[in-house]
Amino acid sequence: MSPFFAPLAAALILAAGGCSRRTTDEAGVLRFWNGFTGPDGATMERIVKRFEHDSGLRVKMQIIPWATYYDKLTLSLAYGGAPDVFICHANRLAEFARYGVMRPIDDLIVSDRTFPADDLMPNIRDAARYGGVQCGLPLDCHPQGLYYNTRLFREAGITDARGEATPPRTLSEFLQAARRLTRDKDGDGRPDQWGFAFTWLRTNWITFISQFGGSVLTPDLVRSRINCAENAEATRLMADLITRYRIAPRPEGFDSWMGFRQGRVAMALEGIYMLSSLEEQKGLAYAGAPAPLFGRRQAVWGGSHVLCMPRTIGAARARRAWRFMRYLSDNSLDWAAGGQMPVRKSLLRAARFRTMRVQREFARQLPYVVFEPASHKSTEIMPFYDAAIESSLLGLQTPQAALDEAHRRISQVMARR
Amino acid sequence: MRAGRIVLHLAMAAAAALFVAPVVWMVVMSFLPESEIFQPVPHWWPQHPTWSNYLELLKRAEEAPVERWFLNSAVVAAAGTSSYLLLSSMAAYAFARLSFPGRDMLFFIVLATLVIPGQVTIIPVFLILQKLGWFNTYWALVVPGLSGVFGVFLLRQFFLTIPRELEEAAVMDGCSRAAIYRRIILPLGKPAIATLGIFSFLGAWNDFMLPLIAVNENEMRTLPVGLMIFLGRYTMQYGLVMAAAAVTTIPVIAMFLIFQRHIVRGVVLTGLKG
Amino acid sequence: MNQRTEERLTAYLFVAPYLLLFAAFLAVPVVYGFYISLHDWHVLGRARPFVGFANYSALLRDDLFHTALLNTAYFALLTVLPGNAASLLLALGLNARVKGETLFKTLYYLPVVLSVAVTAIIWRWLYSTEFGIINHYLSALGGPRPAWLNSPALAMPSLAVMSIWWGAGGNMLIYLAGLRGIPDEYYEAARMDGAGTWARFRHVTLPLLRPALLFCLVMSLIGSSQVFGQSYILTGGGPHYSTLTVVLYMYQTGFSLYRMGYACAVAYVLFALVLGLTVVQYRLVAGRREDFAA
Repeated sequence: MSPFFAPLAAALILAAGGCSRRTTDEAGVLRFWNGFTGPDGATMERIVKRFEHDSGLRVKMQIIPWATYYDKLTLSLAYGGAPDVFICHANRLAEFARYGVMRPIDDLIVSDRTFPADDLMPNIRDAARYGGVQCGLPLDCHPQGLYYNTRLFREAGITDARGEATPPRTLSEFLQAARRLTRDKDGDGRPDQWGFAFTWLRTNWITFISQFGGSVLTPDLVRSRINCAENAEATRLMADLITRYRIAPRPEGFDSWMGFRQGRVAMALEGIYMLSSLEEQKGLAYAGAPAPLFGRRQAVWGGSHVLCMPRTIGAARARRAWRFMRYLSDNSLDWAAGGQMPVRKSLLRAARFRTMRVQREFARQLPYVVFEPASHKSTEIMPFYDAAIESSLLGLQTPQAALDEAHRRISQVMARR
Repeated sequence: MRAGRIVLHLAMAAAAALFVAPVVWMVVMSFLPESEIFQPVPHWWPQHPTWSNYLELLKRAEEAPVERWFLNSAVVAAAGTSSYLLLSSMAAYAFARLSFPGRDMLFFIVLATLVIPGQVTIIPVFLILQKLGWFNTYWALVVPGLSGVFGVFLLRQFFLTIPRELEEAAVMDGCSRAAIYRRIILPLGKPAIATLGIFSFLGAWNDFMLPLIAVNENEMRTLPVGLMIFLGRYTMQYGLVMAAAAVTTIPVIAMFLIFQRHIVRGVVLTGLKG
Repeated sequence: MNQRTEERLTAYLFVAPYLLLFAAFLAVPVVYGFYISLHDWHVLGRARPFVGFANYSALLRDDLFHTALLNTAYFALLTVLPGNAASLLLALGLNARVKGETLFKTLYYLPVVLSVAVTAIIWRWLYSTEFGIINHYLSALGGPRPAWLNSPALAMPSLAVMSIWWGAGGNMLIYLAGLRGIPDEYYEAARMDGAGTWARFRHVTLPLLRPALLFCLVMSLIGSSQVFGQSYILTGGGPHYSTLTVVLYMYQTGFSLYRMGYACAVAYVLFALVLGLTVVQYRLVAGRREDFAA
């Protein structure tokens, strides 16, 4: 009779449909996870296909948008279904490495005689080390750099003898150029063209504080030093660009990157990965240069995609996965065409790389790239300094007050086990 | 006195407008073409209403499979409700009319959990679902909800009001308890069961937290959670977002309008007995 | 088999399926959650060492948790009494036998059947600083255009107003049933004693509504302590932590940072607080039942 029929039907529906897509572990197929949506994904797809052709191995690539990538990765590493090779950003490596979920690859590097281990840029290679072991192979580096609008520069007369736009290299050159490039064209009292605009606040800030010798945590990654004098000085300079020198707009309700793309902002500090976004913009005359020296020493924010394997991977699979990883590294010049940057010295010297005009300029900064703190609590403390940066730049708090508050919160987190 | 009544009516009408306007507005705005979204002066009615938003919804299969979400919500709500009605009515009958050792203590324990805020168990439930391997399946979306106490409590109260003589007569006729349940309790309990069914369905359809933690594959999400992700991606495409919200809500509103009386009765029942 | 045995067997058969699920997804998780809160439990960790009450003592020193508690209390303050007052007012209006009562009742209750996600979507646009209807009318009347969801001072009140709109209809029905249960004779008697409207309300209506009031206030308090969807969807806990609630903090700790032990500790502190408040509230409202002599 009726009461029993419906739930029975329900049970059948449940059993039949909607099971999770637990991928079967087909022998020999390498599963590769990354978050490269859009054109990056297409570039990676091509390299992967060539690997399959050259090596005879099969690779199944799954692209998970970055927004949900780390959730899915974490759960798969914890409960099963983890891929054989996965991308991990350098600044998130510590969170995973701390629990030993990655298989160290030192032995694979050593046993592969054809792999030129010292061809890797040492500082980037070390960014993928944790607890004394190499947790993964860095595929690329994506540093920030100065993008500038060459047409606006020429119009403002900021050119060299040949009439080529000259990007600023020091703080005073930067301020001078930005002042000339900030114009109120329609006379309504508000600038319509800005010399500079802050895009991604956090990464811009890390560039500034690093140049002044500051950092978020102490070098041993144990305590917070976010409210140190160097950080306050750097943050004050950033705020001054908006309020005192008036060469940048308040970062609220203003799409700075779109402003640069549309020629309303003359300079921006952004990552090399934004290159494809600029290439899409028809009619935009732009170039790249190393970030100016705002502070006392050269430094610029960067990130890196690191190729990793899970600890539980079997021996034979690990060797296949290594072959795949090093193939990607050997061919990272193709990957660079999409806007990333290889971290192999030989490739950086290659003629083909020299023709990539923006990457070439940004690559000059590789020796002094700064990553986010390599602490496993990095992601947890990020919101605290995000809030401090925003508060300072919007004028809601003085930089020192904002940094002090962040210091208090970060210290609590760091003091925990 | 008359003036007082008029003012009262006006106030009630104004309040009614405040309550219903946002919902109506959502439906109306779902017909808003993209060109009209950022008008400086918002209109209450689109100048060129269009079905295009709804058509757009069907096209977003990759990132926002709205039809799949709708199906998931329907399956989960239907399967959950029917199962829950069966399980809770059986348990309620046992607690109300059958005697067995430990009955009152068990019921007390069940009742006591009413004071536990639902969110307290969300993390252990998540871990249990992972252990069972149910993550990203319909099981994870449906089964945890079947542990709800509300239905057992409500139906037990109702069954207690069914005259004992009916059952006693049946027992003397040699009817088994199971048959009594089927032939006497269920038919007489129809109003309460129907009310519970409607509440369960609405609750399951609208549930946000359990589906949020029970699945993370796009294909397995239910409408409320999917909607939220949709909002994140298409923040500025208000017409499209409103269309998605309307799709989520229309079945619920339809149900509500049809079954109003049951819902009202159900709310009152819980309130007065509680 | 005899009747007693048959009755017992049937009873076990009937009660077992539900009790099994109750145990697996309610009773066991309650205990399991507490167990987890006593450990340093991370989803990726292979070792999950027992740490006693370390998580709880860390919570005592946790600034963000304190902020979340204060915010949740603030939200409760903004919604429990005003929300119930609104529900009561609506019920009083409906009780006055106005024309179109059924229609009004339906319209007042309509928001209750919406999901939190739909409610948030609608109000996100209503509250939009640039494009929202609310600010449009405000500025048309010459007023300002407040940043409802983007300013730390206004965000929580904005969520509160939305929540009251969303839930007022529910308690309204209960109050209405309670009001309908008050016999007219009491009002007549009071009127003949010379009591005005307000006096009748205070001495007849309120005392006789006590059970309904108790129920609604307790449920409102429990409900508001668990507020999650509104802040998760609309503001993500911001701006500047002003809408960070306890359950949102628990969710972020457990599902962004995957620190399950700590998140469970948050859940249990919330549980203890809610339980305590419920008992206090019960005593306060129901305790004075003895005053009223029927």
